[in-house]
Order: sequence, then structure tokens, then C-alpha cells
Amino acid sequence: MTEIWDGLVKAFQLIFTFDPTVTSIAARSLWISASACLIATAICVPLGAVIHFNNFKGKKFLISTVQTLWSMPTVAMGLLVFLVFSRSGPLGIFGLLFSPSVMIIGQVLLISPLILGLVISALNGIDKLIPETAVSLGASRMQKAILTIREARYAITAALIMGFGRAISEVGLSIMVGGNIARYTRTIPTAIALETQKGNIELSIALGIILILIAFVINISLHMLQRKKA
Amino acid sequence: MKRIIYALGATILILCLALISAACGKTRVAISTTTSLYDTGLWGVLEPMFEEDYNVELDILRAGTGIAIEYGKRGDVDAIAVHSKSREQQFVADGYGIERVPFAYNYFVIVGPADDPAGIGDLSPEDALEKLFTDASSRFISRGDDSGTHSKEKAIWTAAGYDYDTEIVGAGTWYVEAAKGMGPTLLMASEMEGYTISDMGTFLAQQAKLDLVAVVDEGAILLNVYSVIACNPDNTNSSVNLEMGQNLVTFLTSDEVQTIIGDYGVAEYGRQLFIPCAGNEPTS
Amino acid sequence: MALLRIENLGQSYDGSDILTDVNLSLEHGEVFALIGPTGSGKTTLLKLLDLLETPSSGSIYFDDVDVTKVESNRLAARRRMALVQQKPVVFSMNVYDNVAVGLKWRGIDKASIKQKVEHALELVDMTDYAHRDAKTLSGGETQRVALARALALEPNLLLLDEPTANLDPNSVSKIEEIIEHVISEHKISIFMTTHNMLQGQRLADRVGVLIDGRMQQVGTPEQIFSAPTSKAVAEFVGIDNILAGTIDKKDGDLVDVKVTSGLVSAISHYELGQNVYALIRPEDITLSLAGEHGSARNAFSGKIFKITTLGSLVHIEVDCGFPLFVVLTARSALDMGLAVGTQVFVSFKATAIKVIKRWA
Repeated sequence: MTEIWDGLVKAFQLIFTFDPTVTSIAARSLWISASACLIATAICVPLGAVIHFNNFKGKKFLISTVQTLWSMPTVAMGLLVFLVFSRSGPLGIFGLLFSPSVMIIGQVLLISPLILGLVISALNGIDKLIPETAVSLGASRMQKAILTIREARYAITAALIMGFGRAISEVGLSIMVGGNIARYTRTIPTAIALETQKGNIELSIALGIILILIAFVINISLHMLQRKKA
Repeated sequence: MKRIIYALGATILILCLALISAACGKTRVAISTTTSLYDTGLWGVLEPMFEEDYNVELDILRAGTGIAIEYGKRGDVDAIAVHSKSREQQFVADGYGIERVPFAYNYFVIVGPADDPAGIGDLSPEDALEKLFTDASSRFISRGDDSGTHSKEKAIWTAAGYDYDTEIVGAGTWYVEAAKGMGPTLLMASEMEGYTISDMGTFLAQQAKLDLVAVVDEGAILLNVYSVIACNPDNTNSSVNLEMGQNLVTFLTSDEVQTIIGDYGVAEYGRQLFIPCAGNEPTS
Repeated sequence: MALLRIENLGQSYDGSDILTDVNLSLEHGEVFALIGPTGSGKTTLLKLLDLLETPSSGSIYFDDVDVTKVESNRLAARRRMALVQQKPVVFSMNVYDNVAVGLKWRGIDKASIKQKVEHALELVDMTDYAHRDAKTLSGGETQRVALARALALEPNLLLLDEPTANLDPNSVSKIEEIIEHVISEHKISIFMTTHNMLQGQRLADRVGVLIDGRMQQVGTPEQIFSAPTSKAVAEFVGIDNILAGTIDKKDGDLVDVKVTSGLVSAISHYELGQNVYALIRPEDITLSLAGEHGSARNAFSGKIFKITTLGSLVHIEVDCGFPLFVVLTARSALDMGLAVGTQVFVSFKATAIKVIKRWA
């Protein structure tokens, strides 16, 4: 019990004195996952619109495959990305393994199915009369898609927040492809994994608290979005 | 058509990321190192020195010996620093490494409860494990993760005359496979009032949190030698930086660094964690 | 040259035909009302005309350009039309942006957009609502925004799907007023669907009757309402007295139609022995207690067997060998002391009867 209490006290000290190690790890975590989320958004929102607005053979199968990938274990994705980006792998020539870049790529791959699936269902949730009205008012296919995405903006933002939440909290992929290198690829979850193994409980707790705070902010903003939508 | 555009987009994105990471900053040199060495914090002292000396960014990858060597084979690191002699020799023999260069050593210890319930305190490491096996009354916590420390444990069982895979694994409830890193394994041994084998560095660093003492710390077989091997770009991957790999070897065996290694931990734990050996194989 | 021409248009979903073989052309500046019962395919036809759907057969020409399939032609044509849906949806933005969005899609410059949007909002009397969130409007207001959204585009063809259905009476007259204003001021072509026949009669130059996916009759409102060419149209336009019979006697255009038990005099060019329907509007029948019937050729006596009060009107059904519907004001029914079983006389002129062919 005292261990947890001492840990908590030390943790708050680390947070509120802006301990350079803690803040730099938290900042790195945020920018890596935010970049991943942005890139995934840039890919998934247009792709989701293309899938939603076109009827093609195997569309249902594609969507259910995407949904199956939601539960892709992060370590499995991590192993895949590791093998692809390892110097001996097919994309090894880029020399990206053990860098923030490959962590971003991995997180993009990890959260894209989630964002894509949620974007498609967000677009599905829009009254069919909306795109139809847009077309009747003279919208081109692109203009119709953009308007419909705009109409679904709250649900799509919720999808992005979910994706960000998954990216910032996952540990398996980040350790495997990032290598958990100090001051370079160490993020909150990988640091927690390492410090716990080394027995550095206080630092782990401090980082854990930051992660919980981030999750809290994510949840609050989701709730606010849902209330705005209703 | 759209698919082609997206594929193109993704490729461009990857290229951009690659360019950004390549363009901003210095050359990055990677070394994979065993967890026990990493967790002592020694690299925290050595890393900035090396970076300053050679004007590079040094990436230190903490991994079990098995994975650390695998990184080397795949060409993902420029050098490895591990502690498993036979596997290191194999690594060099297979052409993945240039040369195995020992740079420091210490001893493994068999740790256990202070009252030593199994009464192995005066025995040699081989006899100590044999007694644990025959008594089967005190728990023994094995790393069970194919790490360098685990390799050492197996070697002692073999020296004591047992076939590890058939006789020891699953020998009884007293033999526990943790499948964890050294820290958690020590914690388990402490909680379960059992014995385990640890490297000296990790044990000293964590001793304050444990109800464990060093029970057996003498015997040639407990020797724990850390070697550094520069990876061979010819047989791993052409992008491996041989020059920097060899610089790491030179650096670790230099007089200045050898002194630092020898002094490391004395202030904190009251005894030295590593004995520098500057490229020579220690014998006892 | 017709603005819009459709030839042999057909539409089917999952093998069931919604529209069959529809032919129609719409002139510049013409107002056309499409009437028909619910489910007759009116909205489907409207969506085909607005090029929202592609027909399963037939062709559509807009300004003589084939817009049946080619998407670039369709988009160009679509940008010269505007549709107001039956239950219009607005986008989640303010009223001004809702009206402006179609203009933005056409790449019109900001200043012109502002001028057109303000003008359109003025037309529908919604100027004060410009900055309101469109999602918060009432049904009637939403309808007006949708109308403004269409009018701002200054279309050559305005398509209206039941523009006043589901609205309260105040909103109905407001919307009709706006449509009338647009018709008189803007000289655009309007194609509207309605199930309110009076509205069609009031606003349209021509009326088409669509029943079961087939265009039954196209003509001026007078032609449709006074001279339906089929029983289905007659029933739909509210001719309650449809008597099946056969031409029994012919003297020039004056014929006697033999119905169940009686002869009805009418004007018709059909030959002797032709199976026909005799159509008589209830309001063309005179009902009295005494037997005077003036110049009316047809006079029958009968007994009232059913009285239904509908607001200020009463529908009286008289059995005079064959059933006849008569409409009276509630006031005169009361004055005459009419009740079920009362013996009455009914009379109507030969010219009040429309005789149409019957296949049976």
C-alpha cells in the first residue's frame, strides 16, 4: 500500500514540476500519435467516402473485413511492420526501423481500420436525402461527398478521437518497431513497460496518470460531441 | 484509378517521412544490448560520450540476448552488446559479426532468502542447483525467456549433470518459469521466498526492494562476460554502418571508458558492478 | 422546341415496374401538374426528370440533349433544374449557407451569390432567418428555405414534389402564393406533383394523371376534370357517378345509355351497342322533393338510402334503379328535411354526362 501511495506522491511531483523526462516522453507520445491520427484521417475520410458512395461487388465483405481488423492485436501489427521495415525486409532500404516515422506508419496501419469503419458508418448515419438533395442542387460527385462528410462531421470527429485514443495507448507495436529508444522513440506506454520492468514504479505511475488524463480528456470530448449531435 | 492514387499517396508519404528523418539530424548508429546491461543505467553515462566523440546519435535498443542477436542478423543494428558466449561465437562464425570483443564482466549470483532454507550457501553453483533439485522443497524461479541469464542457468544445470529440457523443465511445482525480465523475476523470487539466478548489476540495483541476498556468488561457471560485436554489412545488410560499429568496439575498450565502466555503481551500491577487461577473455 | 421531352420512359426496381412507357414534353414557361394517387409513381417520375435516377428504359432529352445516361450531360442539365422534395432536408448550416450552397457548387462569385441568396430569401419571406441554424426551423419554414434554395439557382425547370403536402393551411397558402408569384414573374417551367387536384387546377397549364405507373391522360385542367378519358381518371378526379352501360339508342349524337335498370340520355359519338361508362358529377345533379325538372332530359325518382355529412356538404346516395351520388349543402338538406327513406326526384342534363368507352 505504501508503495502505491509513495508512487502517487512522487508521480504528482514529477508531473507538476514538469520533470523534463516525463514531459518530453508525454510530448513525444502526443505528437507521434497525433501525426498518425492526422495521416490516417487524410487516408480514411476520402477512402471511406469512396467506399460509401460507390456500389461494387464485395462491398459488404470489404466493410466486415475492415471491422474485423479493429481487433487486430497491436503486437501482430507490430511484427508485420517490423518485418516489412527491417533492413532485411521489403521496405528496409528506407532505413526507417527504430524511428518515430515507422511508429507513425505502424499506428496509421493500426488505427486506419477503426477510423475507416467508423467513418463509413458515420456516413451511413446521414439521411439518404442529404446527398440526394445535394445532387439535385447541382453538386458534382466530389461536392456531394464533401457535403455529406461535412454533415457527418461530429461522428467523424468522434471516429478520429477513438483512433487517437487507440494510437496513444498502444504499447506492443511501438516497442517492436520503435525500439523504445530513450529520447527518440520512447513514448508513454513503452516507457511504462520499461520502467515497470526496471522497478521504477514512481515514473511508471506518473506516466500512467498522464495517460489516464489524456484518456479522460478524450472521453470528455467524445461525450461533448455526442451531446452536440443529439 | 483511385486505388492507384492512394497507393501512390502512401508511397510518397513514406518517402517524405524517410527523407525527413534522414535529413534532420546526424547519422544514427544503433546498438542492441541485453536488458541486464541496459537496466544498470551504464549506457546513460556512455551514450552522450560516444555521441560527442563521433558526432552521431546513438540509439540503444534494450532487448533480450536472443532478440538483440536477431536484430544484428537482420542488419537492423550496427553492433550488439550481449552476454552469451556460445551464441556470440556462433554469430561471428555465421559471418554476421566481425569479431567478438569482451569489454567487461561480472558474476552471476544465485540469490535467495536471507535464512537460506535450502542450505546451499556454502556449495558450488553446480552443487547448489543439484541440492535444490533433489530437495525439491524450495522454489526456484527461472527466467525461462531464452535470455543470456537463462542460457547461463541452463549451462549450470548441464554442468551439474542434468539434461535441462527433459529433466528440469516441468520437474515439479518447485521449478517456476517466469518468462519475464530480470527485474520482475527477482520480484517473483522475493515474493515466493525462492531462489533465482541474476546478474550482479540488476540484483544490486534492485536489492533495496527485495527480501533476497546473494547466496552463491563464487565459481568459475558464474562468470558473466559482456562482449561487443560490430555487425558485418557483407552478410547482414549493406546499410549497416561498419565504421561506426567498429568505433563502438574501440570506444568500449578504450582506456577512458574502461575506467568509467570499472567505477560505475561504486558510489551508488558501494561496490563495482563491472570489471573492465579491455578485449581480453577473463578466465575466472 | 420543348424544354424537356421524355420518350417511352420506364423504371423498375427489383423486377417490379414502377413506371411504364411514359411520354411527355414540357414547353418553356409551361406549368405542368402531375396528379395521381399515392404510390402511382409520381415521385419516381420526378426523380427521373431531375436526373437523380437513371431509367430502366426510355430516354430523356433536356433542350434536345440526351441526358438519359451520359453523366457530364446530366450534371450540366441538372444544374439548370432545381427540385424541392416533398419533405425537404436542410443541411446543418445556417439558412443563408443552405441557399448559397448550390450557387457555390456552380462556381459563382461571392457578390452574385449574396445578391441571389438575398433575393431568394426575400421571395419566400425568410430574410430575417438568414443566420438561423436551418435545422431549428419548423416544417413550413423548412419548405420555404428549400424553395428559396431552388429559386436562388434561377433554374429553367423547377420541379416540385407535393409542395404543400404535410403543411398547415397557412403555410399552404403561403407556398402557393410564392409559386404563383414565381410563375407570373419568372417565366420558368414548372413540373409539380400533387394529390391536391384543386391545386393542380389552379396553378397548372396542363395536368397529367399518373395511375399505376402509366400516364392515363394529359390535357388542360378543364379537359381532365370535365372529360376524363378513362374510368380510373374519372374516379381519381372525383366523378362519383360512374355508371356502366351500353349504347341502346342513337339519334345523331344524342344517345340513350342503358344502365342497370334505366335509360340515361347523353351526348356521344359512340356507335350502337358500344359498352360505355356514363360519368356524372354529383354537383351537376339537381335533387328535389317535387317532380319538376325543367329542361333536364334525365329525370328519375328514387329513395335516399344513405346520407353522409362532410363538413358543410352532405353526400346523398339515391337509389333510382341505379345508385346516384348527389351533393347538397347541409343547409338545404336540412331545409328539405331529407332523411334515409325520403322519396326524391333527381334530374340532370344530357350534356352533363360524359360517355367514355368501356372494355368489358
